[in-house]
Amino acid sequence: MSLELIDVHKSYPMLGGRRIILAGANGFVARGERLGILGRNGSGKSTLVRMIAGVEAPNRGRIKRSMSISWPIGMGAGLKPTLTGEENARFIARLYGKREDRIVDFVADFAELDEYYRMPLMTYSSGMRSRLNLSISLAVDFDCFLVDEALAVGDTRFGRAFEERILKYGLILISHSPAMVRRLCTRAAVLDQGILTFYDDIDEALATYNAL
Amino acid sequence: MSLTDEVALVLRGARVQNRVIVSLIIRELGARFGRYYFGYIWLFIEPLLFGSVIGLIHYMRDRPTVFGSFEFFAVGYVMFFIFRGILSRAPTAIPANRPLLFHRLVTLPDIFFARHMIEFFACSGVLALMLAGLYVVGGSFPESPIQVLAALVLMTLLSQGLAFIFASIAEAIEGAARVLQVFTFLFMPLGGLFFLVEWLPDWAQEIVLWIPTVHVFELLRDGQFGSRFRPIYDVSYLIGWIVVTHLIGLAALRITRERLGVEKALSS
Repeated sequence: MSLELIDVHKSYPMLGGRRIILAGANGFVARGERLGILGRNGSGKSTLVRMIAGVEAPNRGRIKRSMSISWPIGMGAGLKPTLTGEENARFIARLYGKREDRIVDFVADFAELDEYYRMPLMTYSSGMRSRLNLSISLAVDFDCFLVDEALAVGDTRFGRAFEERILKYGLILISHSPAMVRRLCTRAAVLDQGILTFYDDIDEALATYNAL
Repeated sequence: MSLTDEVALVLRGARVQNRVIVSLIIRELGARFGRYYFGYIWLFIEPLLFGSVIGLIHYMRDRPTVFGSFEFFAVGYVMFFIFRGILSRAPTAIPANRPLLFHRLVTLPDIFFARHMIEFFACSGVLALMLAGLYVVGGSFPESPIQVLAALVLMTLLSQGLAFIFASIAEAIEGAARVLQVFTFLFMPLGGLFFLVEWLPDWAQEIVLWIPTVHVFELLRDGQFGSRFRPIYDVSYLIGWIVVTHLIGLAALRITRERLGVEKALSS
């Protein structure tokens, strides 16, 4: 039960050449591990997330998944604005073949949406929307959660409850905030100029990252 | 990998895809028609209303033909509605559902399959309702319901193959969506809805028989009142179109899927 990157290459055509996102990345994440991936804006973190999630293919190399990995949380999950929070939760439950009532109840308890749970998503504030997103993904119960840190929950009651829960699972957290990686992760990697470097010691990773 | 392993893998894939399509259908129904039951009724009313109005107009102004104008045009229009409904929505299918692709399980063709099944079942329901209604008020029952059903299935499949291609073109060329929608609309008089091939002079028959939907309409009418005229169609020609458009369309969707990633990365 793991995620494995084997010589993964990725680049995009760009004006006057190709932009290299990954030049031969290797890595291994075991089930239950919590890995932080640090990178500056534009370093290709989001592309890496999409590749890990399996929604974008590398140009070369392989990504082997033998544990269940969530969709990239924080990038939108195809929830429909005209459907209610509850209906969207049902949709995700059906899509992933989970028991609908279990997921619907979990989200009702966890997302702190109260009566908005039965209102269309388009009436939600951005904070409510991300609480719904995160709660639904928690309810699906993946081995490993793939989280883009751009989560507007921050240091709120919900934010703390979410972090507490996520610590029971595996996690791949994409971030440019060292504090969050230190709080939630046991290992870290730094993505810079196409090179993904893994560090077993978080402090070492953070030092490298800060020196970039 | 042994053969049984491979069979198991394919079966598991089919189960997952089935689950994905069913969940997309339910989502699409909910979103397209709202949470009110009236929305679901609208799914039927739209083609029924359009079909009936067109049928009535022709009924009132036409020279009498061998069969009732209403039966001819209203039923024909519901058939055209499948084509129009699928193709006019094709160019927006991908942009409207792009975030769904963040779920690894969802593929581009799944999004289309789900929509097309809705269209097929809605129009089949309307057609059955209309034929039953016509029978009740004294019209003739279709001579071969199987042929009518076959026409429905073939029309859906043909539209599906074309929808894959239309959606890919709309995704590749900005502004193409409008042109394609106009094309679908202008295609109406040529598609076979308003005429029987038999009515046309020989030279015109030669031309219209290149158009695949003409074969669908002839098949439909053969099923409705085949013994009262000379139907001219070739199902194998139609199947050829379906196979070719599916092959091209699915390949195009594959390319489109890869390009989608590129755009997203450049814009973010």
